[in-house]
This record gives sequence, C-alpha cells and structure tokens, in this order.
Amino acid sequence: MIKKEISNKLFKDYVKKGLLFLLLLIVLDNGVNYFLLNGLYKYYGLYTDNEIALVGHSHLMLGIDKVKMEKELNVKVSKYTREGVNIVERDLMIDQLLKSNQQLELVVYAVDAWMFTGEGLSENSYKQFYPFMGEKTINDYVFENATFGDFWQHQIIKSSRYNEGLVSGSFRGYLKSWDNLKVGILDTVALNSDIKKGDFRKIVSTKENRKIFENTLKKITQKNMKIILLYVPTSSIYNNAEVGKFNSEITYFKSIESKFNNIKFLDYNELYSANADLFYDRIHLNPEGQKLVTASFIEYLKK
Amino acid sequence: MANFFDVHANKYTLNVILPVGISFFTFQALSYSIDIYRNRVGVETSLVRFTTYVAFFPQLVAGPIERSTNLLQQFYEEHEFDIKRFVEGAKLFIWGLFKKIVIADRLSVYSDSVFNNPEAHSSPTLIVATVFFTFQIYCDFSGYSDMAIGSARMLGFRLMQNFNLPYLSNSIGEFWKRWHISLSTWFSDYVYIPLGGNRVSISRWAFNILVVFLLSGLWHGANWTFVIWGALHAFYYFIEFIGKKMLVLIGADDVMKKGYYKFIKIIIVFILVCFAWIFFRANSVSDAFLIITKIISFSGQLWTGGSSVTTVLSVLLILFLIGVQILQFKNKVSIYFSKTQLPSFVEWLSYAFLLITIALFGMSSNAFIYFQF
Repeated sequence: MIKKEISNKLFKDYVKKGLLFLLLLIVLDNGVNYFLLNGLYKYYGLYTDNEIALVGHSHLMLGIDKVKMEKELNVKVSKYTREGVNIVERDLMIDQLLKSNQQLELVVYAVDAWMFTGEGLSENSYKQFYPFMGEKTINDYVFENATFGDFWQHQIIKSSRYNEGLVSGSFRGYLKSWDNLKVGILDTVALNSDIKKGDFRKIVSTKENRKIFENTLKKITQKNMKIILLYVPTSSIYNNAEVGKFNSEITYFKSIESKFNNIKFLDYNELYSANADLFYDRIHLNPEGQKLVTASFIEYLKK
Repeated sequence: MANFFDVHANKYTLNVILPVGISFFTFQALSYSIDIYRNRVGVETSLVRFTTYVAFFPQLVAGPIERSTNLLQQFYEEHEFDIKRFVEGAKLFIWGLFKKIVIADRLSVYSDSVFNNPEAHSSPTLIVATVFFTFQIYCDFSGYSDMAIGSARMLGFRLMQNFNLPYLSNSIGEFWKRWHISLSTWFSDYVYIPLGGNRVSISRWAFNILVVFLLSGLWHGANWTFVIWGALHAFYYFIEFIGKKMLVLIGADDVMKKGYYKFIKIIIVFILVCFAWIFFRANSVSDAFLIITKIISFSGQLWTGGSSVTTVLSVLLILFLIGVQILQFKNKVSIYFSKTQLPSFVEWLSYAFLLITIALFGMSSNAFIYFQF
C-alpha cells in the first residue's frame, strides 16, 4: 500500500515535471522560430519598405549584387532569390513581396529559357518555404506538397522548419551579408562534352507554366508596378545546345514585352554569354560576371 | 574481409552473409559460448531468450557489446514500468541523439570533404579536420551507445557503460579504459587474459598487447589503415609503460601525478589520439602519410569550409561538448546530463535546448535536392 502511494506520488511529480518541460519546449521553440524568421525576413527583404524587388532562383542570386545596386541607385532593394524555385513558387514569392512591401515600384523577375520546364530543376523545393508556414497561402502550398507526417511535424515543431541553409540565411539577414559569389571558371570542355552526350536540361515549355507566369505578371501590373524581365546571361554553349527552342523562348519574352506596356525584357545574353571567363558554370556567373552584369543593369536603371 | 585478402565475393552472397551488426552478433554469441565453457553461465534452453540476447535491438547496430553474464540474466527478471527509470533512459537517449545528429553529423561536413581530398588542403586545414574528426568519431560512437543504453533503460534493461570521457584521460592506458569500454574489456577478457595477460615474460606480454590492439584495429574494418591505427596505439602503450618505469627509477612518478602535470598529460594523450585517428579516417595508408607530411609542413591557408555557418557552428558545438564533459568530469552533471548539483529548472531547460537543436539541425528530411547539376 505504502509502496503504491510512493509510486503514485512519484508519477504525479514526473507529470508536473513533464508539463514544465513541455512549457519550456514550446517557449523555446517559438523563441527560436521568431528569431530565425525575422532574420530571414531581413535577408530576403520582406516586411520592409523597399522600392525594388529582385525575384528568381540561384541564377539571379549569383547574377546581381544587391548591395551595389542600393549604393549606386540610392534605393532599397529586396533580393528574394531561392535555389531551385519553380514557376508556382515564384508566384508565391511575388505574393509575399506584394503583401509585405507596400512601397514597391519595380519588380525584377529573372527569366531564362528553361524557366517553363517543370522537371529537372529541383525536387522538394517546397521545403524551403517551411519557415513561412505561418502565412496561409504558403501553408496551403506546403500542405499540398508535403506528406501528412512531414506537414504536421513542421507545423507543430517550428524549429524543424529550418535547415542549415535557412539558418545561414537568417544569420546573414542580421549580419547584413548579401555577398552571393561562386569563384571559378566554367569548364567549357566538360560542358561541350555533356552537350554532345545529351547530358543537359532540355527546354520544355508547358502552357500551364506560361499561364501561371502571365497571371503573376498581371497580378503585379494590377498594383501599378513596373516589371523588368531580366535575363542574366547563361553560357552561349548551353544556349546553343537547343538553339531553336532557345530562340523561341526569347521570342516569347519579347512578345510579353509588347503585350504589357509596363514590362521591359532585358536580355544580357548578346553582351556576355559568349565570354566563358564570366561564368562559374553553365548558368551561374562568377564574381567577375556578376560585377559586369550588375554594372550594366545599374546603368540601365539610371537611364 | 573479402577485399582484404583480395577475394572478390559475389555481391548477392555478401548481402546474405553480412547483415547489419554482424560483429556485434558474433561477439555476443562468442561471449555466451566462452562463458558456458568457463562455467560462468548455464546453458540457455529458451530459444527466445537466447536470440533476444544475441540480437537485442537497442544495442545491435553500434554496441555496447554485452555479456551473457549481464544481459542474458536480465531476460529472467520481470520488467515493470518505472517512470524514474524511463525518464533517465529518455534523457540519455536525447543526449546521445544530440551527439550523433547535431555534433557528429555537423563535424563530418568539414572533415569528410578534407579527408576525401587531402591533396587539395593545407596544413592548418588538415589539423582542423583531424581535430573535428576526433570529436566526430567520439560523438558518433558514444552517441549511438548512449541511445542504445537509454532506450534499453526505458524498457527496463541495464546495459554497460561504453564511453567514459575518454578525451580527458591522462594516459593511453586510461584512454583504453574509457574508450569503447565494452569492446576493450571483451578483448581483455576473451583474448588478452587467455593469452596469459601480464603474468608471462615481458616479451610474451608485449606480444599479447600487440595482438589485442591489432585485433581491435581489424575489428573496425578490413583495411591496413585500421591495422596501423591499432599498432600505433600498441606503440603508445609500450612507450608509456617504459616511461612509467623510468619515472619510478628516477623517483619522479609522484610529481607527475600533480594537477598541473595531469593537465599537460591530458593534452599530450589527446594529441597522440588525434594523430592516430588520421590513420583510422584516411581513405588509404598513402593518404594518411600524405596528410601527415602536409601537416608537418605547417604551411598554407586555413580553409573555412563549404559553409561558414556550418564551420562556426562546429567549433561552437565542440566547445559546448567540452564544457559539458568538464562538468561531467567534475561531477556537476551525471553521464546523461542529469542533475547532480544544478537546479532542476536548468536541467529541464537544457533538455528543451537539446531537443530544439535536434529539431533545428538534425531533421535530415529538410534537405531539398537541387537537380540543376
């Protein structure tokens, strides 16, 4: 009998301790999430009064120097670029920017010949949006893509929404560090060999993706903002792999420019794509390439 | 073993005969057979009890290697749910999980990229990678062990302690009493002592020691790098033995036991152990010698790693681990980071902190795959 009473008391004691532990866990989890989320907002330029927003994936991330733009144009710039994002995710990113930045005047939307190709860019890139699950549209998008268990795990344990890249981004937001550089020069021999073997991402435009893209543009237009479709150059060797399809995509972007009077298509391929020394790999610029393209873009904006 | 003897076994055959934890199966089964031979345990008549002992799931993958005298006997006991024991087990499990997936996996990002491409790295980088690997292997191995001991404890079973602050050892002999205890005592009980232990001539004793260390190396893998690692530790052991004898001869052995010297000895032992890990981790013997040659050149720039956040985090995690281990060493916290002298609130906050960092850095499913290249 006494043994049972002691055991019950011990059990109650541990239940109390367990509840305290749970409380501590919830407080700590929310605290970590709050800290990291704010860092990410700073890094991507969300919830700030920026006038220009750069949107795209790693192609643009390595292509344009945001800090230089801010310095030379004396404007505030959001650089919302995420690796491997597809057309739907870019649309979500635009939604986030429009909602969180009331002073936006210009959206720079990075385009390339492969942007309507659904496959071969990334797998599970929706995972990069976990930190923003607090926003309804993002939450719905994650719900559609994640497995049941994965969704609820990230819904309940907020700290698990971040991976190393996102933690890094958050700290960089606090440290105001936006230097996106990859040092190296494109291996043209390897690229030519890959192309000869057919080992490269093919250009496949789907009507659905083009429709999503055009809807995104309409959404921005309705907010009376200007849009620049910026083609940060890709290597001419890569562009020429399927030259017919490549030209057809360029023609499409030009047709978009003529369809909307607030849209300008800016293609830097003619200027830089043939110079392999400016590339880190087939689609990413190295620091020298970034410097040149940023300078040209700033020049254009000044005009 | 097939590659070691240059025999190319059929891959389908290997799939059948090499299940996970083969060495643990073997060693536990051997322990049972030898203990029966020595009349330490009786013959187990229940197939269920015997197979559960050989393949006890908490410790099957990474130890500790249990003995029939300890584990097999526990299958005769009744195991009632005990919340105190369950909580203690859970704490140890969390600490092990933290060591494995937060510290070890983080450190491996740097050390793997350096050790897999040593010719491309400088002396300072190789030194950092070696130190990182030293902590990585400890956290990896002891993390698994703590998870095994913790989960067994939650179920009501007592497994033996496998690591006891090995990097705070002040001699190689002590290191081996604190590192992978279940393996070293297994070799001691079932190899060293049957060979005669130290109750033989000095040359035979040296042979016994060498055999145990070489076997210990081979146990980790059929590669010459592991053999050299074992031989190197045997060499350290002999040097230490001779050194101790000489100190006794000149009457300086008591002085060396004082605090200041003890600290220096801990540092020296740590450096020697780090050095030996180069052979353990290197992809080949030639790679290991290349690494050593480059390290002693003491030249070149320190590589800050593929991700500066990961590298900085790795350093912070090592410092955190050292801090916790010093607290453990001074008996401020017990092995599973549970309270001994700290307030209860600090203890529970520390566990909440461990869980959050596991969620933050340990959820591998968060990685997204970028196909572009």
